[in-house]
Amino acid sequence: MKMIRAFIRPEKEQEVVLALEGAGFPSVTKMPVFGRGKQKGLQVGPVHYDELPKTLLMIIVDDEDEGKVVHLIQEKARTGFIGDGKIFVSPVDTAYTVRTGEEGL
Amino acid sequence: MKEIIAIIRRDKVPETKQVLEDLGYPSLTIQSVDGRGKQKGAMCAEMDSEMPESFCTAAKLKPTPSAYAIDHTLPKVALYVPKRMLTIVVPDDVVTKVVKSIMKVSRTGKHGDGKIFVAPIDGALRIRTGETDGEAIA
Repeated sequence: MKMIRAFIRPEKEQEVVLALEGAGFPSVTKMPVFGRGKQKGLQVGPVHYDELPKTLLMIIVDDEDEGKVVHLIQEKARTGFIGDGKIFVSPVDTAYTVRTGEEGL
Repeated sequence: MKEIIAIIRRDKVPETKQVLEDLGYPSLTIQSVDGRGKQKGAMCAEMDSEMPESFCTAAKLKPTPSAYAIDHTLPKVALYVPKRMLTIVVPDDVVTKVVKSIMKVSRTGKHGDGKIFVAPIDGALRIRTGETDGEAIA
């Protein structure tokens, strides 16, 4: 299993989530985060924003679905301008459902 | 070392914390998150049957009840349910014990009890003392 963490623009969140649901991945955890990237924030005239608001989507998928989900997020979250965000993928050993105690997604 | 990520009901947090304390692993990080699972949020599941066939045309992806609800500004749509995410880093040998205990205490038997994920952690460092790995989480 893989954990996909996508840092995306907050305004793109709904579009991404609905697209994932349409592709058969309805489960997602989201949280608001603040961060910066290579551009060290944002400079608007004399005002410098050090940290910018993003939405973090956390999705756990089976290994074979990883590429599909990452591409879908990329396609939907992309504007082509700086600040579209990043996607990280990391390994997950096991998943449990609390209600049933079963292993697996 | 393993990282246990438990996404559970908000009202089960105090009990879960108590159980972790009793087990001897009191250290944890709590975050407020919004989540959804197979049921697609609070209301979307029951909307499945209400989505008309005509909505399914011309979309590249399979359209969804939530997409329909949002498109038509229906009041029933609730994409997310508020949850608490607990992150606990424990040694390898106690992972099963901790996971089982969390599941036992935060189970209600209804949908929405949450998920627990176990992921590997490569290293740990206690900032105050500079202790690494096993010592850092002890």
